[in-house]
Amino acid sequence: MKKLGIVFSIIMLCGLFSCKHKEGEYHSLKEKIEEEGKHYQDPGISSEAYIGDINTIEITEGGHTFLIPERKGQIKSFACTECHSKSLAQLQKGPKEPKAHWDIKLNHANANAMNCATCHNGTNMDNLHSLTGNTIDFNQSYQLCAQCHSAQFEDWKGGAHGKNIGGWAEPRAAMTCINCHNPHRPQIGSKWPVRFNTEKENERK
Amino acid sequence: MGTFRAFRHMVKDSLDYITHGSKTYHIWMIFLTVIMLIGMYCYSIQLDEGLSVTGMTDRVSWGLYISNFTFLVGVAAAAVMLVMPTYVLKDIDFKQAVLIGEGLAVAALVMCLAFVVADMGGPSVLWHMIPGIGVFNFPNSMLAWDVIVLNGYLFINITIPLYILFRHYQGKEAKSKVYIPGSIISVLWAVAIHLVTAFLYEGLQARPFWNNALLGPRFLASAFAAGPALIILVLAAIRKFSEFKIEDKTISKIAMIVTVAAQINLIMLISELFKEFYAPTHHSESAYYLFFGLEGKTALLPWIWTAIPLNVLATVLLTFHKLRNNTKVLYFCCFILFVAIWIEKGFGLIVPGFIPGPYGKIAEYTPTWIEIWVTLGIWAMGAFVFTMLAKTSIGIELGKLRYKKKKILKSETV
Amino acid sequence: MGDKKKWFQLDLGLGQKQAVAGSCGCGKPSGGCGSHATEPPKNDLTISAEEFDAAVEQELMEDSMVAQTRKDGFQQVFDRKMDRRTAFRKLTASLLVGAGAVHTSCSVTSGEEAKEKAQIDWEEQFKGNYKLMTQEEKQATVDRLVRSYQLRKKENIKMSAADASKDVLFGYAFNISKCQGYMDCVSACVKENNQDRNSQMQYIRIHEMKDGEGFKFNEADDNYYHEVPAEGHFYMGTQCFHCDNPPCVNVCPVQATWREEDGLVVVDYDWCIGCRYCMAACPYDGRRFNWSKPEVPEDEINKNQHYLGNRLRKKGVMEKCTFCVQRSRAGKDPACVEACPTGARIFGNLLDPNSTIRWVLENKQVFRLKEDLGTEPKFWYFMD
Repeated sequence: MKKLGIVFSIIMLCGLFSCKHKEGEYHSLKEKIEEEGKHYQDPGISSEAYIGDINTIEITEGGHTFLIPERKGQIKSFACTECHSKSLAQLQKGPKEPKAHWDIKLNHANANAMNCATCHNGTNMDNLHSLTGNTIDFNQSYQLCAQCHSAQFEDWKGGAHGKNIGGWAEPRAAMTCINCHNPHRPQIGSKWPVRFNTEKENERK
Repeated sequence: MGTFRAFRHMVKDSLDYITHGSKTYHIWMIFLTVIMLIGMYCYSIQLDEGLSVTGMTDRVSWGLYISNFTFLVGVAAAAVMLVMPTYVLKDIDFKQAVLIGEGLAVAALVMCLAFVVADMGGPSVLWHMIPGIGVFNFPNSMLAWDVIVLNGYLFINITIPLYILFRHYQGKEAKSKVYIPGSIISVLWAVAIHLVTAFLYEGLQARPFWNNALLGPRFLASAFAAGPALIILVLAAIRKFSEFKIEDKTISKIAMIVTVAAQINLIMLISELFKEFYAPTHHSESAYYLFFGLEGKTALLPWIWTAIPLNVLATVLLTFHKLRNNTKVLYFCCFILFVAIWIEKGFGLIVPGFIPGPYGKIAEYTPTWIEIWVTLGIWAMGAFVFTMLAKTSIGIELGKLRYKKKKILKSETV
Repeated sequence: MGDKKKWFQLDLGLGQKQAVAGSCGCGKPSGGCGSHATEPPKNDLTISAEEFDAAVEQELMEDSMVAQTRKDGFQQVFDRKMDRRTAFRKLTASLLVGAGAVHTSCSVTSGEEAKEKAQIDWEEQFKGNYKLMTQEEKQATVDRLVRSYQLRKKENIKMSAADASKDVLFGYAFNISKCQGYMDCVSACVKENNQDRNSQMQYIRIHEMKDGEGFKFNEADDNYYHEVPAEGHFYMGTQCFHCDNPPCVNVCPVQATWREEDGLVVVDYDWCIGCRYCMAACPYDGRRFNWSKPEVPEDEINKNQHYLGNRLRKKGVMEKCTFCVQRSRAGKDPACVEACPTGARIFGNLLDPNSTIRWVLENKQVFRLKEDLGTEPKFWYFMD
């Protein structure tokens, strides 16, 4: 019986030493992030190469500095004044049939809230303008959207709304509003999923 | 040097002894060999094509192999329930039964290891599990523990009977100083292998069906019911086919063990059912699937509703002394109890653990023929190993196999 | 190779020869066997990615050159500096690796390659656990795998053994209000990570759930095919959450899976024995098993690989999402993040106080799945 006791206590001791907790482990992930983030130093990884041939401009909004795609170079016939040499008021005096932009139908909020002139400046077509009439550059069109969509704007600045470009590492580059949302029809349409898994279907029969 | 020579002679004599026998013996061995060969052929297909030839999927990732493994660990553990009274408590009643029991443990362990190997995706890199050469995740992984305890148990269960048989073969008495410490360790070890195997499942927070404190004790109870039940059946067969004397007293004592264990097992089953169905949470879904089916998926119903009545019937019958002492009733009870626990602890335990999956998806599991044949092959291998071990030990115990007595032996057959 | 070896390793002679400058496994005095080009990494541990690229590029060119000036078999044999011991070792290697290899090595012309293949196979079969390898050994196995692919497919791949960077801990956030269920992420993931096409393996699942019923995963459909987003539904993606306290890592009997310093939970496909215990232990359905030999059409193979990431797997091993380790360790977003057209997926460094992921965690109402299990996933969900 003595031996039995010895064997039993050895087993118990084995059990004690095989306790799973290791030293240097944190109690929670939050604590780990806090502790290890205290002496954070830039790991020196760059995502610059992954932005590719997108021309970007740096913006600083509410303490966040990041890159967004440049816009003016992407508009086919910028500057607008190359065609629109006259102001809107003068243009509208001509024939009623539109000669250009005939395909644009505004489907953004209702007619009481918005029309073309809410954003476009009838007298200076190379720039946009805010509700109070301040000039907004085409490259900074997000300022226009931010007038109404302030919650989305906050999220976008922080990184919770919108799509990241390239990589997670510095420098941060993000798509701006109009890269995803057509300002004239900001709703994103439905489509079909890109794939269907037939094997999974079989498995669950 | 003399010992070595004696040992060499024993091996030679045993080989000679197991290759000779009656017609029934030969037919039995040929039958097992044929099944093993079919099993090996099916395993070669599995090796070639991958585990996709089995019914297992990403949803139900363990199936028939692991179910049988779990059950057989119990059988192996139970064999030692006979060791305790014989060697430690000096109850000579069991003496004959013990060697058979340990032989059964060895056979069950061989089957366990074979099932684990059959279940592996990469059997060619199994050396990664060998301590020293590979990398062992000890003590974190319960599977690592399991490998250690199973192999340790196999080692103990080979050495003790080997020592006793070897002494008897030389016509000497086995020294109790040598084997008693060994048997004490093996008794503790038997509990350990089964608890560790239960912990394998119990420790998974991802599977609420298994993550249940009762699993360990229930494993032990059902093992000590099914294992000795099998031993009774085997002893009955040995009584019939050999001259080995097994007293009724021995069998009735083992029957007592079976009865108590079956009763405890039943109580635990009731406790489990109460917990799952009195106040069901979404953790009870696996139990619902097992007993009633979920969303029209009912593959396990016929099995579990065979197992439960058989289990109850056997336990009730065994509880009455009169019925239990009737050998025919006893054998019948042992058989149905064995089948019932095999179902309950086999895929009645493993498969529902995976259903529904982590995100509630239900994909059912049906073993394929390849899987079934590999399983049968491994069972046949177990039976084969056991027959050889039992025949040798019976031969030695009966005095037919003795060092320097070879000539007399040749004329005899079992 | 270090003295403190943690596993059994048979040195068939390559290790010795590497020390001799200008000699290599194939015996040719100058380029063509591949180990010349990839030798710098072995000597210079601090090789940059560009240097490695350059090496691979150079190798590509040499390959075509050698094809023109290929020596005949006898010349190759005579040119070779081979002492008796090396010859004996080579012979043993070919004998041991298998009858097939021996058979091909008998034909004089293809002999060199077959022997090298056999040598690589042998060393790959008996190499150690990647987790415990030194930087040198890691590079050696990667070189072998690149060379092996080159010998077999006559094409070059780029495989990285980049380790975790200091001060990086990867985290992921998923915006439930933004996901529209297009499954672009799933497609990109399959392509990027060379997943088996036959079994249509996918790491990511998108669950379509009914509005107003909470997260009922069991009633959600993760294999829909209709126009999305469907009326009255929202979408929730799941994949490996790279838990900080991963149950799958605890249970692995051979330490074939572990959590790296930057938080990625990875698998050494060559060390995995295929017991699937990790799969049973994962509460998030994050792991996938190769039930048969995974197959990817040759022209669809992503050749930018990482040892712990998207390199080609074999049958009978476990695999899983690695947050595209081949991309993320280089500063790039994982393929799913890049592919998502809605911006619902946010990835970044949890230790960087200025990262977008940190902003999300600090400013949005985030939650994780099955937090009560104590697994500490590094994958958060949030809504606008």
